[in-house]
Amino acid sequence: MNRILVWDWPVRIGHWLLVGAFALAWLTGDSETWRLVHVWAGGGVVGVVLFRLLWGLVGTRHARFASFVRGPGAVKAYLLGLFTHPRAETPGHNPAGGWAIVALLSLGLLTGVSGWLTYQEIGGEWLEEAHEALASTMLTVVFVHVIGVLIGSLAHGENLVRAMFTGIKRGDADAAIVNARPFAVPLLLACAVTCAWWLAR
Amino acid sequence: MKALIPVLIGLFAVTAQAATPNEILAGYRAEAAKLNPRYQPSAELGAHLFARGFGVSARMPACTSCHTEDPTRGGSHVVTGKAIQPLAPRANPERFSDPAKVEKWFRRNCGEVLGRPCSAAEKADFITFLMRER
Repeated sequence: MNRILVWDWPVRIGHWLLVGAFALAWLTGDSETWRLVHVWAGGGVVGVVLFRLLWGLVGTRHARFASFVRGPGAVKAYLLGLFTHPRAETPGHNPAGGWAIVALLSLGLLTGVSGWLTYQEIGGEWLEEAHEALASTMLTVVFVHVIGVLIGSLAHGENLVRAMFTGIKRGDADAAIVNARPFAVPLLLACAVTCAWWLAR
Repeated sequence: MKALIPVLIGLFAVTAQAATPNEILAGYRAEAAKLNPRYQPSAELGAHLFARGFGVSARMPACTSCHTEDPTRGGSHVVTGKAIQPLAPRANPERFSDPAKVEKWFRRNCGEVLGRPCSAAEKADFITFLMRER
């Protein structure tokens, strides 16, 4: 087992941007004083998610949806074997984490779009309530995700939070990504800022 | 599946409860009367609450910061510039027709403008004042 590069730069920066933007949007949701900050933060969430959807198709190996979105059977087998077979199949996302990613990206997009429609006064009262329910659901999934990361870290004996900063995990040398693709980070930032600006107009 | 139907109808009834301003006022009035059995809603106190500057928020010191001094007319959000429909139910029949929405905005706006929750008596005074305006 070697220490190999698994997460490229856009995955890591995008992850923590999403954390920051969602936290900011959640904390400012009830405030009229911070309403513009809320709308910008929500737009940032949508921008990061849109970039991540694209990156899930063209990004590095472990960032691609095809490499980590697995069926319910794989998720069940992974969770049941978590402590009896702690050797991970892949240094990339585990099957349960893959579903957390899909859920968080979907909820981020739906929450952002319903919020934007409400802000533009296109949707009615029900859409505002849907926006709030979606945001609460997203926060719940965030907690499940964090608990999953902590349990996964214990089961695999590896600090998964640190890995999302450094990009480095334990794994076979041939599972490493070659290029961390820093050149895509400006595109990610441009996507987040453009989306935030456009949605807050 | 069939068992779900009454649950769904129940949920819908809870989320989209229609009410009149009088019914919503009666609810707050009854709540205020529990603390003070002699409580009577006052349009004057409501008007004072509406116009008074609280000095808690720099951008929205009073209700009138966004809603203007005349609740029968529309206002505009001081931060976003978005239009706000009139507060007085005679000018805008949608106002005070959904108890959950009323409570949500009292919670948000009292917290932000007054820096504290409003009492049931203050809410009843406020609604009494707005129902008077035409």
